[in-house]
Amino acid sequence: MAASSSFFSRTLLPAYGLLVVGLPLAGLGYALAGSLGVAGPLAGGFTLHYWRGLGAQTGLLGAVLYSAWIALAAVGVAAALALWLVLGAQEALRRGPLRLLLHLPLLMPALVVAFYLFQLLSRSGWLSRLSYQSGLTTSIEGFPELVQDAAGVGIILAHVLLTFPLLTLLLQAIYEESRLDEFRQLTLTLGASGGQFRRRVAAPVLLGRAAPTLLLSFIATLGAYDIPLLLGRPYPQMLSVYIATRLQRFDLRELPAGYLAGFLVALGLLALIGLLVRLHRRHAL
Amino acid sequence: MRSRLLPALLGLLLALPFVLLGLLALAEQWRWPAALPPAYSLTAVRSLLGATDNDLLAGLGRSLLLAGTVAVLATGGGLAVARALARSTRSARWEAASYLPYALPPVLLATLIQPFIIRLHLSGSGVGVLLGLLLVALPYATLLLRSFWTPQVAEYESLARTLGCTSAQAFRRVLLPLAWPRLRTALFQTFLLAWFDFGLTNVLSVGKVRTLTVQVFAYVGEANSQLAAVASLLLLLPPALLLWLNRPALLRRPE
Repeated sequence: MAASSSFFSRTLLPAYGLLVVGLPLAGLGYALAGSLGVAGPLAGGFTLHYWRGLGAQTGLLGAVLYSAWIALAAVGVAAALALWLVLGAQEALRRGPLRLLLHLPLLMPALVVAFYLFQLLSRSGWLSRLSYQSGLTTSIEGFPELVQDAAGVGIILAHVLLTFPLLTLLLQAIYEESRLDEFRQLTLTLGASGGQFRRRVAAPVLLGRAAPTLLLSFIATLGAYDIPLLLGRPYPQMLSVYIATRLQRFDLRELPAGYLAGFLVALGLLALIGLLVRLHRRHAL
Repeated sequence: MRSRLLPALLGLLLALPFVLLGLLALAEQWRWPAALPPAYSLTAVRSLLGATDNDLLAGLGRSLLLAGTVAVLATGGGLAVARALARSTRSARWEAASYLPYALPPVLLATLIQPFIIRLHLSGSGVGVLLGLLLVALPYATLLLRSFWTPQVAEYESLARTLGCTSAQAFRRVLLPLAWPRLRTALFQTFLLAWFDFGLTNVLSVGKVRTLTVQVFAYVGEANSQLAAVASLLLLLPPALLLWLNRPALLRRPE
């Protein structure tokens, strides 16, 4: 029994490492090899052709910039909304049903949020119907394009809807943990106004301590797939949609460029995670 | 006044998805520019229980089976790996390595491991999807359960062995009851992780393993809003149940 138990614990960690570290790293290595022409269905030998052509891949650069814009806007709006709620509605957040209500969006998979917003915001959606019935618009084209639009308004709104309740709950927890109510009393006693307390004391404390989570939300939005797949356009595409589309095309000659994009994006995200870990350690000190 | 208006407004905003999805699930011939459906019917909901070769019901069953299997395997495996991690001399390194699958978006992870899934002849199969989901769920459960294996727990275990328990008895009668609150959380969270997934499942199964999320996407593609809404509402049921069960903890006032 003891021998089998020891054999079990000796083999368990290597097996775990093979799955959790080995498989993703092997995938990354395969993508690198694919981009160099030494792996994949049409591998014809080592070449730097695809790496040299990287500058001409406007689609990848477009996807990077578009994803960064969406992630920045979504996390920025969600954080601003959460901060406004925590600093302006303390009473409601401490008492009453608001705390429970903020958990409602957590019930929804990203794909369902995307479907809901499509039904709400598209030109044939519910808001368009209401605006027509109330005389604000006179035709279906009169309603602005809010989904599958160039600026990604629908995608941003979907991510805000998913992120801002979570950030509100997080900022509220930090507010209570940091005993900001006591600091508020102190600053008011010392002659500061409510606005000064919010701007100079509360906001820096809350945003500073929530910085790792904000960066994590940024990274998660950067790699979003379900929402931009339904609410986005064929061009520009967000990163995950761009890579998955390139690797799933029937034209196998597209694969090396797809592998290259996947490899570079994975490296970029790993670097961002490295930054997050360093930030987290600094906050933990 | 403001303290009442704000929750009411937010409540309206956050409840609107459920209202609109409910209307879409019951609406008959709801065309633009009608603000409300001209007629309501339970056809789509009834079809869930009626037909024998029902796609939606099969999707629900597939999703439940897949998410349930992921939850049980990830939680059981996570408990064992977390124990091995706690006893390892390189515990911190293993913990850091456990974060690797989270550094990459699920779809990117799926596209990277897809060549190996194809080589293993698992592409388009439930087992391939299960492996992909475990790649994310197992380290999650391991990290969640790592904090259970403290030196104190090890002392409880050796005390039970000293008092005559076999290792199986010590596990069943001492360790399992102690770990149960954390195991329950891990079971719920890994279940939801698999239940909510669309991208990884869709890429690894090449659309062949039609879970509920894959079906929502397919129905949207077919412009079948009614069935997409019914499938969406079905997707909300388990997390709603979990939220309801955890309501007392969520509403507890801060100290």
